Amino acid sequence: MKRYVLSRLAQAVGVLFAAFTVTFAVLYLLPSDPVALQLGAAGIETDKLTDTQLEAAKAQYGLDRPVAEQYLSTLGGFVSGDLGTSIAKQQPVAGLIGDRLGPTISLSLAAGALSLLVGTGLAYLASYVRWRPARLVLSRLPSLGASFPQFFIGLVAIQLFAFQLGWLPATGSRGPESLLLPAVTISVLTSSLLAQVLMRSFDETLSQPYVVTARAKGLSRAAVQWRHGFRNAILPAMTILGLLVGLTVTSAIVVETVFARNGVGKLAQESVLSQDVPVVLAIVTLAAAIFVLVNLVVDLLYPLLDPRIVQLPRKVAVR
Amino acid sequence: MTRFPRLAVALASATLASLALTACGGGSDDAGPAGDPVSGGTLKVAFWPDNAAFPCVDPFQTYWIEHRTVIRNLADSLTDQDPETGEITPWLADSWEVAPDGLSYTFTLKDGVTFSDGTPVDAEAVKANVEGWLATVKATNGSAFGASYVVGLNGAEVVDPLTVKLTFDQPNSSFLQATSTTNLALISPASFQNTPADRCAGDFVASGAFTLESYSPNELLKIVKRDDYAWGSELADNTKAPYLDAVEFSYVAEDSVRTGNLTSGAVDIAWPRNPFTVEDRALIDSAGAAIESRSLPGVSQTFFANVTEGRPLADRAVRDALHQAIDIETYAATIYGDDYPLVEGGFDTTTPYFTSQADKLKYDPEGAEKTLDDAGWKVGDDGYRYKDGQKLTLVNLVPATSPGEELIQDQLKQVGIEVVIDVTPNAERPAKITGGNYDLVANYFTRADPGALQFILDPNLANSKALATNASTPETLAELQRLFAQAIQTTDQEQTEQAYADLQDLLIDEGVTFPIFERVQYAGVSSSVGGFAFTSESFLRLNDVWKQQ
Amino acid sequence: MTSGLDRAVDAALLTDDGPVGRRARWRSVLRTLAVRPGFVAALLLVLFVVAAAFAPTLFASHDPYATAPVDRMMSPGTGGHLFGTDELGRDIWSRVVHGAALTIKATLIALGIAVVAGLTLGVLSGFFGGIVDALLMRFVDVMLAIPSLLLALAIVTALGFGTVPVAIAVGIGIVPGFARTTRAEVLRVKTLPYVEAARAGGASWPRVLVRHVLPNSWGPVAVLAVLDTGVAIIAIASLSFLGFGAAPPSAEWGTLISAGRGYLVSAPWVPLLPGLFVAAVVLSLNHISKTFQELER
Repeated sequence: MKRYVLSRLAQAVGVLFAAFTVTFAVLYLLPSDPVALQLGAAGIETDKLTDTQLEAAKAQYGLDRPVAEQYLSTLGGFVSGDLGTSIAKQQPVAGLIGDRLGPTISLSLAAGALSLLVGTGLAYLASYVRWRPARLVLSRLPSLGASFPQFFIGLVAIQLFAFQLGWLPATGSRGPESLLLPAVTISVLTSSLLAQVLMRSFDETLSQPYVVTARAKGLSRAAVQWRHGFRNAILPAMTILGLLVGLTVTSAIVVETVFARNGVGKLAQESVLSQDVPVVLAIVTLAAAIFVLVNLVVDLLYPLLDPRIVQLPRKVAVR
Repeated sequence: MTRFPRLAVALASATLASLALTACGGGSDDAGPAGDPVSGGTLKVAFWPDNAAFPCVDPFQTYWIEHRTVIRNLADSLTDQDPETGEITPWLADSWEVAPDGLSYTFTLKDGVTFSDGTPVDAEAVKANVEGWLATVKATNGSAFGASYVVGLNGAEVVDPLTVKLTFDQPNSSFLQATSTTNLALISPASFQNTPADRCAGDFVASGAFTLESYSPNELLKIVKRDDYAWGSELADNTKAPYLDAVEFSYVAEDSVRTGNLTSGAVDIAWPRNPFTVEDRALIDSAGAAIESRSLPGVSQTFFANVTEGRPLADRAVRDALHQAIDIETYAATIYGDDYPLVEGGFDTTTPYFTSQADKLKYDPEGAEKTLDDAGWKVGDDGYRYKDGQKLTLVNLVPATSPGEELIQDQLKQVGIEVVIDVTPNAERPAKITGGNYDLVANYFTRADPGALQFILDPNLANSKALATNASTPETLAELQRLFAQAIQTTDQEQTEQAYADLQDLLIDEGVTFPIFERVQYAGVSSSVGGFAFTSESFLRLNDVWKQQ
Repeated sequence: MTSGLDRAVDAALLTDDGPVGRRARWRSVLRTLAVRPGFVAALLLVLFVVAAAFAPTLFASHDPYATAPVDRMMSPGTGGHLFGTDELGRDIWSRVVHGAALTIKATLIALGIAVVAGLTLGVLSGFFGGIVDALLMRFVDVMLAIPSLLLALAIVTALGFGTVPVAIAVGIGIVPGFARTTRAEVLRVKTLPYVEAARAGGASWPRVLVRHVLPNSWGPVAVLAVLDTGVAIIAIASLSFLGFGAAPPSAEWGTLISAGRGYLVSAPWVPLLPGLFVAAVVLSLNHISKTFQELER
């Protein structure tokens, strides 16, 4: 068991390190002229400068060093908690993200809770209802929910609930009531996803012989589904937990932009627009860290729910 | 005539009728609730997004229109300017005298005025401000916006506790107007001990009717009333403490959401940067809210060309054709509504010394085609014009796409000019302008003085040297500089008037500016809000504003 | 953003039985399809979009870029404008049809990258196994650890804005799904008796790969490709909504919705009809791939 925990831990750190490296490579090796890109974000026009001025500007932002050296110092900074300095805003990235973390965390939590509620509710209902047309409609709902672009759902929600009905504020990040519309917008997609996985798992469980036996013994359908269906659906649902969290975090980029919430997602959008490379690097790495952390927790909880896992650590691909 | 869907016709025509009354005047008098003003309440104002590059509420440094609107109510100026007549009127200074040679201005201050920390607004304080301005110009390398208001100023002398004399190296005829602006609003001497960056974040005290409570960039700015305020400008009805307890300014990215916030009652005033669309005005009207509007003084929304050798606009004929081929009338009607005022030159109509160039900006597509034909630009198989194998393509540099840009693109296509809309993030914009990889770039500058245009066109003063250098030929530039000098470095009113009139002719005749639309500051004002007023800079004056309880 | 969906379905696919790939089976498949009107409707819509992408003038008579200020904001169905007109009087239906070209081009680039890179990674991994497999799959794990929209944002930051960078970014984001699915299929096919027989009969590895493994592995990959077409369309639209997409006046779908969003209240058809059209296309693609999946079970 200890070996399992340690190997999972090492693996998580390894994946995170590699994710950082891949992102760094994308941002520092892909652009045709990374120096001009970054100095441009700082408002410095490279072709206007003399060579000495250019060298001075490069030195100021640490761009005069070889990429490998920049990589190592950035990595060192990240390990020690220094996420660098925003080029466009001239502020420490850690502070920028820290200031904006609150609205995003509360949004993600609200969206997560809502997805769990709606996703399981929908799946439960879809396998409980017997009338075929209703069943068909319920089983197709998730597919429908995943077909609409999120920004479109958000705009329609603002229009309907904020402007027409006046129930909720359209924008802003103050007060719990400002949380509901963006959370609903995110959860349309995430709950659809969860419901899809749960529905499949319910269907499989309910056709198992022991369930048929339980029914024969006189347990009500609701009771069977509650006892057996859910218990067996937890495992597959957990495997997509990391995915759902990752999806919630990225949804925040679009949704915070639509609802004008001052969170990390909006910061990401602004940073890409101003091509603020250090901020983009930090946010992508942070998201990867969250994803890795959630999966680590799932991995560590998994053996508690299903002891067989310890013997077969690599068979269950945590996606 | 604009066509509306059937359902909206009745609604829209009612709106347009009521708009016609308010389109470019000072705003309607019948708006707002009936009865006498009452005290109390928090006014909620929705702005468009904050300045991400430079979130700053220091009067001297900031250029952002919304920040200046807030500052107008936080900090008082030596003088005020009547929005109707353009006349300079007393405020913190009761009277002033300009030396005949234009090299000194002597202000006599009101007695008993204090900054919100209790220190007096006296001659020493004005001197400290003058020194603070000059120090800030130096510290920011001239990039502080206020630098453009204090050209020639070299210092101040205290004559007696309430009399101060500002001295100049060279005359600056627009300085008196400058003292009425938010950028030369006074802050306490102690505030200048703070760094420019700290002052930007709100670390200063002033003598205004409101004091700054909090500022979180792009989120919320809150100001609260100052109870002992008693020195408001006579241009407001209420010169004592304001009616409102507090005002909250929020920043809303989407235009439609800002309008929706007003119509759903979430905010009291929607304050857009770009004029409301016809549709938004119809919505506001149908919600019972009022639409106030006033042209922003200063440079109109205008294209500046790149006339560098080798670019199509180096050809004078193409520049002439551009004026003929841009249909500013259809532009105004389509984008902002049938009743929207037409742009009449390089400046908006509320700018002092404005002279109309409307007859030179008439839409004449046949004329444009003839001009281009005569200059050797012949129509090719694809409908676009060519000369010596070069296609007539103009690159229009924009920060974000908008219907207006696409309309102009299509208008110019009709006469065979191809427009490429190059969406360039603000981060890359300076580099593209410096590199000269553009033909048209739009810009504007809000200030109730034509001198504002120098800070776009004169390479020695402009924020973007490259844009200024590319905008006119060396000969035209020399002529522009001569006219600006003539207008500014004098105390002779007539000379200033003549120079600015010549300048406005030159801008169109030589194809330096290509006006697109009059910049109108709109405000959607809830029916529960009374006392709305614009300043001469078309900012919001809150002294008389009250909210139904 | 939504490429999470493909991962979940892809996860489910791994547990599914693959296609049998025999002719008789396909004939029965076609017969079953005929009795599914939903599927047929979905297929027709997708075929229409593809046709529109390559010959837009066949389906739209108006010039999508020609402004007609007099005809602005006409409601759907009036004056010969099926979807109405926008704020400049342009025919929205024509803009949607012509927009298909740009959207489908971007989608094809994205899918091309995903299929080629994913197939290569998956085949190499599944076919060679061992250390190659371990290394490649760890790499895929890393790619999966970066949420795909964020990876796309990083790529767009580096490459700049426009249709092609966005398409590349989206394509790279969906590579891992293809790699995993392909690998699983290759692993399955590799152990099929006749493949083993071919190997035993002395056929070279490349020959076995091309003749036996690839033709029998493509089923689930194709299903995933159909599904990911929808995912890519949404992702491309989202990126252009955020302001990183095609240059005007190009009428790309995401740009149409984004540009029309200011008129949601006053002229709702301007953003809503293109939005519903996009949703219908994505829904159709999801439905098609779901039907295939069900038939293969």
